[in-house]
Amino acid sequence: MKNSIKNINNILDISSLEIGYPNSSNGNKSIFSGINLSAYKGELIALIGQNGIGKSTLLRNITGLQKAITGNVKLLNKDINKYHRSEFAQKVSFVSTDIVKVANLKVYDLVALGRFPHTNWFGKIKEIDKGKIENAIELVGMGSYKNKNITEISDGERQRVMIARTIAQDTELIVLDEPTAFLDLPNKYEIVHLLNTLSKNENKTIIFSSHDLNIAIQEADKIWLMLDNKIYEGAPEDLIINKIFDKMFESSKLYFDKNNGDFKINRKRNKLVGLVANNSNLLLWTKKALERMNFSVEPDNVEIPYVEVINNKWIYRNKEKNEEFNSIYNLSLHLKSIN
Amino acid sequence: MQVKKLTIWIVLLLLVIALFFLDIFLGTVKIPLSEIFKILITGKSSHPEWIVIVNSFRVPKALTALAAGIGLSISGLQMQTVFRNPLAGPYVLGISSGASLGVAILLLGFSGVFIGSNFSIINNWMIVIAAWLGSGLILFVILAISMRVKDIMTILILGIMFGSATTAIVSILQYFSNESLLKAFIVWTMGSLGGVSKAQLSVLLPSVLVGIIIVSFLSKVLNAMLIGENYAKSLGLNIKLARFLIFLSTSLLAGSITAFCGPIGFVGIAVPHIARMVFKTANHNILIPATMLLGGGLLLLSDIISQLPGYDNILPINSITALVGIPVVVWIIIKNQRMASLG
Repeated sequence: MKNSIKNINNILDISSLEIGYPNSSNGNKSIFSGINLSAYKGELIALIGQNGIGKSTLLRNITGLQKAITGNVKLLNKDINKYHRSEFAQKVSFVSTDIVKVANLKVYDLVALGRFPHTNWFGKIKEIDKGKIENAIELVGMGSYKNKNITEISDGERQRVMIARTIAQDTELIVLDEPTAFLDLPNKYEIVHLLNTLSKNENKTIIFSSHDLNIAIQEADKIWLMLDNKIYEGAPEDLIINKIFDKMFESSKLYFDKNNGDFKINRKRNKLVGLVANNSNLLLWTKKALERMNFSVEPDNVEIPYVEVINNKWIYRNKEKNEEFNSIYNLSLHLKSIN
Repeated sequence: MQVKKLTIWIVLLLLVIALFFLDIFLGTVKIPLSEIFKILITGKSSHPEWIVIVNSFRVPKALTALAAGIGLSISGLQMQTVFRNPLAGPYVLGISSGASLGVAILLLGFSGVFIGSNFSIINNWMIVIAAWLGSGLILFVILAISMRVKDIMTILILGIMFGSATTAIVSILQYFSNESLLKAFIVWTMGSLGGVSKAQLSVLLPSVLVGIIIVSFLSKVLNAMLIGENYAKSLGLNIKLARFLIFLSTSLLAGSITAFCGPIGFVGIAVPHIARMVFKTANHNILIPATMLLGGGLLLLSDIISQLPGYDNILPINSITALVGIPVVVWIIIKNQRMASLG
């Protein structure tokens, strides 16, 4: 399938890769095997998988920080082990899960470290390096933070600076291990969107691991999905259509909601309730609230006890009597009390 | 901003020069400042004994203080960066313990050999060589380990364990030794800047110079190490070579200074923090020269304080550096309670 695409620049080619810890005390300890993946120029790739499945190990193999047990990783059609370390650092940059909090370290100085593989022994920053550092800081939107200490900025801002460092490193491939792990929701979206923008505008190939499936589906060109014994590759939409995501949590209570591109809890719904509303927004959110309380909601069914929503009033109707509430919360309190 | 920085550099440099000459000027024998300059420039004086005092005692002592202050401080800076630990210092690898083991074995271990015989056999040079052998042994072990061990924290813990082990051996030796040799050993542990002769200075200064030259090549490497070895590796740094060079220069500096002056505490831990505080940066291009100036200045100041009371006796330099250094370390701990985040 992927071999048919010849005209796109091939950046990374992983074939028959087995990852883990070679030569540990009891022989090789394999974590994941049979990995065949590829990455092309300008692609944003999200690596998805459960905790402990080997996402970080795979990324460490790609970035040359860890050796493979078998198989090989080719970067620009050359085995990564054949690169000299400084040549490799000019091609691949990495943001790990380690949070950099060094007192007195300026944003500019941290980004300037990206020029490390391009400068001489003394680390002399020339005009061309200065330009690349300034440009990298501007690209991630941190222009006004240049002289701030790295310890004085927020987690999301720090992550932007770490990304600026990889831009300054001027590599074909950027690899990030869970760049959104400790961020709040708006920052998660912004960071992944920034990666998307960089992959498109700067033509960088970017691989990042994440647990935020819905964000990855919205922004990534390609998903690498690590399941128990197989790794799937494809556009997020391909994986949705082919029901690959459903396999992710087959054994758990979660299921994949194709409409939202997100996982949901499969609830045991044992109580029936009808729902009538004249406003689709109120209908949606009342339905969500009732489902959270383990009701199985039947829209427009007035044969059973049902909730009617009129003009921001919630009326619970059953045979005995009608009761009116001015918020979903008060309705929920009542429903809890009668069950 | 730039002008302000430049001013700080000039003030610092002038301060160190002033402290250097003040250190030469002060002493039990009063020599007028004009005479001192005359001796330094022309080598002549109306009092021939002043020439001897200045050339053979005061100048070597001031140079020793300057060199030891510089060497210990940049050793401490390197160790704090490599181990990413604000309380690391030049002796964290166990270098001073190694040196004191060497001296203890010489003074205390062989005490049986010297009893009744001529005690003066043990001269200054022998102590220096013993200390150097001791710290060299520790250096060799640490370098061998650093080429094999991946985790830098393992090296830190091993360094501390070596230190504790040698301290234990030294205690046993102390227990079995006679009084006069024990006193000689205790005096050595107090540290001394004045005991370094002109001949010894010709060994100490080149050693410190080589250590400084190695460090001056390492500012880029140290900047990368600041954000952790994984990141440094991903930037294309040869970690093992970097560690080797850093440990080599640290051992050369701290090892030779300890051999000639005894273990001098706290300068190496405190000065890098003062440099960060003054220049508000973590960039080693600035921190290395700043640490050198501040370190040289601080030890000169400590030496001046140690002879200031006007008494004939000179206070042990180790007590002065401790009294100057401990408040700085305490201040660091209180100001920055998150230890790991200091660099």
